[in-house]
Amino acid sequence: MSFMGFFISVFALASAIGVVSVRNPLYSAFCLIVHLLAIAGLYAVLESHFLAVSQIVVYAGAIMVLVLFVLMLLNLKTEEGRGPGVLRTCIAVAVGGVVLLVALPPLVGRFARMSVIQISDAFRRSEGTVRAIGAELYGDYAVQFELSSLVLLIGVVGAVMLSKRKNPTLGPRPGGLFAGGKQ
Amino acid sequence: MSSPVTYIALSLVLFIIGAIGVTLRRNAIVVFMCIEMMLNAVNLAFVAFSKLHGNLDGQIAVLFTMVIAAAESAVGLAIILAVFRSVASVDTAESAELKW
Amino acid sequence: MFELLVLLIKVIVVMNLALVLGSLCTWLERKGSALIQDRVGANRAGAFIESDKWYVKPALPVVRMMGWLGFINTFVCDSVKGLWKEDFVPAGTSKFLHAVAPIIAVLPIMLAFAVLPLAPNFTLFGYNIHPRLAPIDAGLLFVLAMGSVAVYGVAIAGWTGNNKFSLLGALRAAAQMISYELPMGLVFVALIVVYGTLDVYTIVEEQGKMLWGVVPQWGIVMQPVGFVVLLLAGMAETKRGPFDLPEAESELAAGYFTEYSGMKFLLFWLGEFCEIALFGLLLALLFFGGWQIPWVRLPEGVWWAALVGHLVLMTKVVFFCVLQIVIRWTLPRFRYDQLMNLGWKMLLPVSLANLAITAIMKVLL
Repeated sequence: MSFMGFFISVFALASAIGVVSVRNPLYSAFCLIVHLLAIAGLYAVLESHFLAVSQIVVYAGAIMVLVLFVLMLLNLKTEEGRGPGVLRTCIAVAVGGVVLLVALPPLVGRFARMSVIQISDAFRRSEGTVRAIGAELYGDYAVQFELSSLVLLIGVVGAVMLSKRKNPTLGPRPGGLFAGGKQ
Repeated sequence: MSSPVTYIALSLVLFIIGAIGVTLRRNAIVVFMCIEMMLNAVNLAFVAFSKLHGNLDGQIAVLFTMVIAAAESAVGLAIILAVFRSVASVDTAESAELKW
Repeated sequence: MFELLVLLIKVIVVMNLALVLGSLCTWLERKGSALIQDRVGANRAGAFIESDKWYVKPALPVVRMMGWLGFINTFVCDSVKGLWKEDFVPAGTSKFLHAVAPIIAVLPIMLAFAVLPLAPNFTLFGYNIHPRLAPIDAGLLFVLAMGSVAVYGVAIAGWTGNNKFSLLGALRAAAQMISYELPMGLVFVALIVVYGTLDVYTIVEEQGKMLWGVVPQWGIVMQPVGFVVLLLAGMAETKRGPFDLPEAESELAAGYFTEYSGMKFLLFWLGEFCEIALFGLLLALLFFGGWQIPWVRLPEGVWWAALVGHLVLMTKVVFFCVLQIVIRWTLPRFRYDQLMNLGWKMLLPVSLANLAITAIMKVLL
């Protein structure tokens, strides 16, 4: 792992732990933004610049702005009391640790011996990864590409339908955001 | 020589951190963000594999994951907002009743 | 060693260019707004300076001239005032986020300058020099990415203001910037279709070619609709002009930076003007042939040709900065629903249709 990769990895890990452990949801959103930017940096370290940039555009630029927007709109306070509790935290971390211990050795052992030199050649052959990715997308993956546009369309329609008020008589429970002042 | 294998290990760790977050946190939006984190961990593994094998299929998979994540976030946040409208809370324990 | 030196010089030149263009825009706005509103504008500070020191005397006429033109007021007085002002942090917010927000607002704008070429490549002392910092192949996309990261500065600033006006301003800004990023991205895609590359340098080079042997293939010729859409979307991205709803004084005090003072406030200001300059640079590079003069072919790879090209580019950039400032000071502010309608019901369909027609033309021709 290069120095740059190590540096960014530390950032990614620290901010990931921040997302999970910080109490205020807004702060964990900020941690997640740092995390996503760090992941974009790791993509750049792994020589896939197009993915790094599109990671910033899609995740940091669109999804997280949306999340931040919702968080600010709801204006949530810090979760009071009722944390997960020490016991549950311990159990979750222990299970996570066990999974890590079980899964890590075969994963690393399987690929550790593969040489990395072959790749650089493959990347160099594909004059600029943007062009190569585009050729792949519209060649072998054309059907999937079209389907993904359909998924996006369905997502848009679904979001619009969900945020539309169907029956005004049902209305929100008093005290909700859209109830209009305190009751 | 920088090796993609370390990044695969890192992605595993990140995935587990995200999973722990999903199980522990009560706030629906934070749970949503932890899911995004898990997706990203998988994406990192895909990119590392792409580098390891020297072809672009992994990167294409990441692009598709991003598309799905974008659609998922639009729908997911709309659901969270709709739930908040009727229960006035984004606590996952509060909206345990499936009907209002 | 020489490469390292060149890199260092490039960093200094690019960052300074961003700052100099930004502050130049500040001055242009001062004097330009005065001109438009039939005032004189800043012309006092330093204009009557006196000194008996023998080593100051020769410089006095120059200093007085600069004071008379308002340079001293804009570049010296304002920044010094900003530095000495009380740094006020509202109660009940995170001090860290309050301090970090202006930096996040400025930094992406500065970073976006790194991928944009500033002159044609040239050879100096036998070395090939590429006058841009980061030659990544997804350059155009990177500019878009940095534009979308800049939203966070605004959002965090509004949040840490800890009052309703700031929060409303931040929400407005976030919604506005996301909405107008879509047509902007679609125009970029249409340009990519026309020139067949994401690399800004190659796009500029392609614009030097002639269409039917008469008209240069400038972006304005190939994509006139795209230019109009990008101009509108870019003005909305900078949150100025008729689109300054996030900081509408008559409704929201000062919007998202209501609670900012001193140097932090000036950083927001600097970011705004750097964004104007960045946007002017983008328009000049993508639509007006960058460093090229129509029907004139400068020799390739010579240092003086690069210098001339750079000056030509800067002239175009300053022109677009002035254009933005004139628009900002002549048009009244939109209503918020008008803003959203313009973005979603006008610009988005128009840019989509533009993209479709461009793609069809590309296939047919």
